[in-house]
Amino acid sequence: MRISGLVGASALALVLSSGAFAQEASLDLVEPIAEYKIYVSEKVAKLVEDTTAFTAAVKAGEVDKAKALFAPTRLSYEAIEPIAELFSDLDVSIDSRADDYEKAEADPEFPGFHRIEYGLWEKNSAEGLAPVADKLLADVKELEGRIASLTFPPEKVVGGAAVLMEEVAATKISGEEDRYSHTDLWDFRGNFDGARKIVDLVRPLIAEKEADFLKTVDANFATVDTTLAKYKDGEGYVTYDKLTEDDRKVLAAAVNTLAEDLSTLRGKLGLD
Amino acid sequence: MSSPDPQRDGTPSSRLMTIALLGAGILVLAGGGAFYLASQKVARPVEAGAIAVRVGDKSCEPMDLTVPAGRSVFEIENASNRPIEWEILDGVMVVEERENIAPGFRSQLATRLKPGSYDITCGLLSNPRGKLTVIASAHSEAEKAKPPLKAFIGPLSEYKVYLVLQSGQMIQATKTLQNAIEAGDVAATKAAYGAARVAYRHVESVSGRIADIENAMDPVAAYLAGREQDPAFTGFHRIEFGLWRESSVAGLKPIADKLIADAATLRDRLKVLKFEPADLSGNSAREARRLAEGPVISGDSLYASDDLAEFAAAVDGLEKPVSLLLPLVAEASPETVKTVTDAFAATRAEIGKLGGTGTPVAYTDVPPDARKTLSASFMALADAIDRINPALGQE
Amino acid sequence: MRDPKNLLRSSYSFNRRRLLTGFGATALGGSLSGVVRAETLHHSVADAPVANAASPEDSVPHLGLHQAGVVNARPANGMVASFDVLARDADELEALFRTLTARIAFLTVGGPVPMLDPKLPPADSGLLGPVVRPDNLTITLSLGASLFDDRPWLAPLKPKHLTRMTRFPNDALDADICHGDLSIQICANTQDTTIHALRDIIKASSRQMILKWKQEGNVPVITPGPDGRAESARNFLGFRDGSANPDSSDAAEMDRVVWVGPDEGEPAWATGGSYQVVRIIRNFVERWDRTPFGEQERIMGRAKMTGAPLDRREGSEFDVPDYASDPEGKATPMDAHIRLANARDEASRANIILRRPFNYSNGVTRSGQLDQGLLFICYQANLEQGFITVQRKLNGEPLEEYIKPVGGGFFYTLPGIRDASDYVGSSLIAAARGA
Repeated sequence: MRISGLVGASALALVLSSGAFAQEASLDLVEPIAEYKIYVSEKVAKLVEDTTAFTAAVKAGEVDKAKALFAPTRLSYEAIEPIAELFSDLDVSIDSRADDYEKAEADPEFPGFHRIEYGLWEKNSAEGLAPVADKLLADVKELEGRIASLTFPPEKVVGGAAVLMEEVAATKISGEEDRYSHTDLWDFRGNFDGARKIVDLVRPLIAEKEADFLKTVDANFATVDTTLAKYKDGEGYVTYDKLTEDDRKVLAAAVNTLAEDLSTLRGKLGLD
Repeated sequence: MSSPDPQRDGTPSSRLMTIALLGAGILVLAGGGAFYLASQKVARPVEAGAIAVRVGDKSCEPMDLTVPAGRSVFEIENASNRPIEWEILDGVMVVEERENIAPGFRSQLATRLKPGSYDITCGLLSNPRGKLTVIASAHSEAEKAKPPLKAFIGPLSEYKVYLVLQSGQMIQATKTLQNAIEAGDVAATKAAYGAARVAYRHVESVSGRIADIENAMDPVAAYLAGREQDPAFTGFHRIEFGLWRESSVAGLKPIADKLIADAATLRDRLKVLKFEPADLSGNSAREARRLAEGPVISGDSLYASDDLAEFAAAVDGLEKPVSLLLPLVAEASPETVKTVTDAFAATRAEIGKLGGTGTPVAYTDVPPDARKTLSASFMALADAIDRINPALGQE
Repeated sequence: MRDPKNLLRSSYSFNRRRLLTGFGATALGGSLSGVVRAETLHHSVADAPVANAASPEDSVPHLGLHQAGVVNARPANGMVASFDVLARDADELEALFRTLTARIAFLTVGGPVPMLDPKLPPADSGLLGPVVRPDNLTITLSLGASLFDDRPWLAPLKPKHLTRMTRFPNDALDADICHGDLSIQICANTQDTTIHALRDIIKASSRQMILKWKQEGNVPVITPGPDGRAESARNFLGFRDGSANPDSSDAAEMDRVVWVGPDEGEPAWATGGSYQVVRIIRNFVERWDRTPFGEQERIMGRAKMTGAPLDRREGSEFDVPDYASDPEGKATPMDAHIRLANARDEASRANIILRRPFNYSNGVTRSGQLDQGLLFICYQANLEQGFITVQRKLNGEPLEEYIKPVGGGFFYTLPGIRDASDYVGSSLIAAARGA
């Protein structure tokens, strides 16, 4: 007999079914999901365009030009990460980090943006990067093709807002992402834009019922904006090492809170 | 509440009876589903039959119909002296239609209607419209096998993306068309026309149901009082008429301008259009049937005669929403997937056969028998697609 | 040694990538049916330690055909430490083995710590006071592929399946916490005892081997229900872990699943040993805690509160899911962790492994997140058919989004110390000399 266990479980079941949460998923989601695919399609088209220029510079050995194109090119990728990551093989070959390989930077398998970043900044050279650049461009084009034929799963789209914040919270706020170029703030921008796009698309569906929630989320996005704005430099941002410890804490708190709050978005829309 | 088994309990309501009598025909109300009328004390008539609608030169008889929700069969009689189309409209949306009903002929139309008020067209576009009121009922079939609503969000979204992207391509193509017209280049204009029509055919199963846009972009002279001289003769076919019948771009500039504006309006409408899960295959089946009954028999591109290319594009457009549902259908009914896939292949093969290889075959050269065979293929395709909704518990 | 802050990296996101994991298939101890607590609880590895039942006098015999610390129940604390070995020849390796055997014999049996001249450093750390008590301590020695590969005189004797642990798709292995020539698994009722044992061993063997990395963990202590039956402990994802482990009190089953026999194509010296897999698997606990409840259950394949399979939610963790009646994964998704790990069919019986995991909680990552996870340990008679096959099936599972293997290694657990005159690894040394 496992009476005590059962009692506990059914008590929980009661709580879960009491209707405290969440409507059922409704067809009102169709329009935001469609809009989001169009948004992602535009971003990935831009990614292909930018990557073409970036990899051409790498292959031409134009180190300074390639460095200048690195962060803006990644921006589009970072904004659509929740979808890009659905294709784990491409995510690995486009955006994995040295940590994913036992021999780190020295590992011959280490590919993609960060492999090129390592060469450009640590070695100040594009030597040996041509095959990596070719592969990166091919992967990005492949990504575009796969996205075109993908029916976007609604829970991945809505959940994507939180996923982007989780990414920042778990592996970016430390400055590990772009550790050679320190262009992390650009990536942040892409991640935040991508998350906010999703929130804005579903906003009309929850505006009435979840006004307080949206207010909190908006306030945290605003905190992020204000903080990032201090580090604006031309079209982009200064390097991550310029971020003060205080501002890093402010960002970290906003990101953690956004991750926490946005993790409920799926449930609020019946997509748990 | 009425009896749980209304089929056995059939006192026709006086109101319905009146309608039936007015309708000069056989009373009504399709038999199929076991349902009860939820809010009205109206029992369903026992006999299955068709609701007769007689379309005269100036109006329909009756001009005011009431039916319970669920499946209904209409029998449309063309009592006018012009070929007609007959449509049920929800606002500007075409819910269901029959085309190309010749004078003196009848055509049947079966559909499932949701409660609400609809318009019906009555012959010429300039004629007043009739009213169709659908009252609540409940039909309970097939609820069980239904995938959750959530499962349709992805396919519906993806189809919407397709419609928006295709209408975007149509806008691009009509701009090219406009440039060619301005350049006075008939050959280039003809090429651009073809490209725009491909995109149009891709979305037609939906855009064809948005009556005001459809009437602006794609009216056929035969349905207009003044035919080719009618001021309402605008849109694609007006351009086609100029290019192929008059071999000239003269006077086409304003038509093209309007076409671009209408295409943009269409894209905006498609963006916000709300679909139900059943619409995905429902639209395709309806459009396949419409093609079979009208354009395939009589030809749609009366001046360019490039119908085969347009039908091929139309098949692609029919297939898109269907393909998005097939993964769901595969779980419920693998045979249905095969039936549908085979039917698409068969229709494509039929078009390919008529088109031959090399230079395009003019549709005027396709004899009536061959058109009938192609029509039958589209009809079979419609029937195959019609199996999807029941398999998904959507009807 | 690992710096906990260094551990965490995970790079790209693991989102949706399928991968491996070592959580063991959450197993369910299918084996304990009936069950009288006093007897069974302490027999099966799956069982959680019982609250208030542990005593410092608990002891596990260190002599026998097999080493201790594999099939006996997990006590509350566990640790794996990995070393690089300096031995250049069979004599030096024998000396190391004899040193370790002496420490095992003393530490697992207990007794007074020798008092030395106070002007000298003490004989041990003094952590446990003047008298060491056994406290359920086991010390289990296993060898890594590098010990063989780097020594031509030993290389021909390497067990058939033993390799350096390879990278699985979701791994982000940190070289600082991977591999090693020799692993020592230390388990005991209290953490003091495991730490005391480790310090004692390091002290005794400092000339012979060098510590490379270590990872500690623990098993939550469970209070049995009124029927005396204890549930499996939960891992840091909040799910029962261990429910489907094979019955480690069934000697015949252990001979089939865990112990290498004489007829398996392994070198003769290896009979009575086993393959040990260690995986340090970080869990992204903040993110997991923000994942919808239903999704968590679909990812794992069990009801979170009860551990019951999803096709019989009203049941308990000891119920066996009926996948044959659920061929499309409507109840238990096809890619649920427990379903991928163990399909419960005849074919997958060959892939059963004995899991002996501990939860770990280290520190904080550079991003300010908790560094917690599972110190996954398992034993099997055939590494290829066991862990490697199971992990391949798990590659790409939805759980990968929430976990990241960062360290560990493959090792071969030496046969047992047969009697008081024997020492651990004696059969290997004899074979090396004979070769």
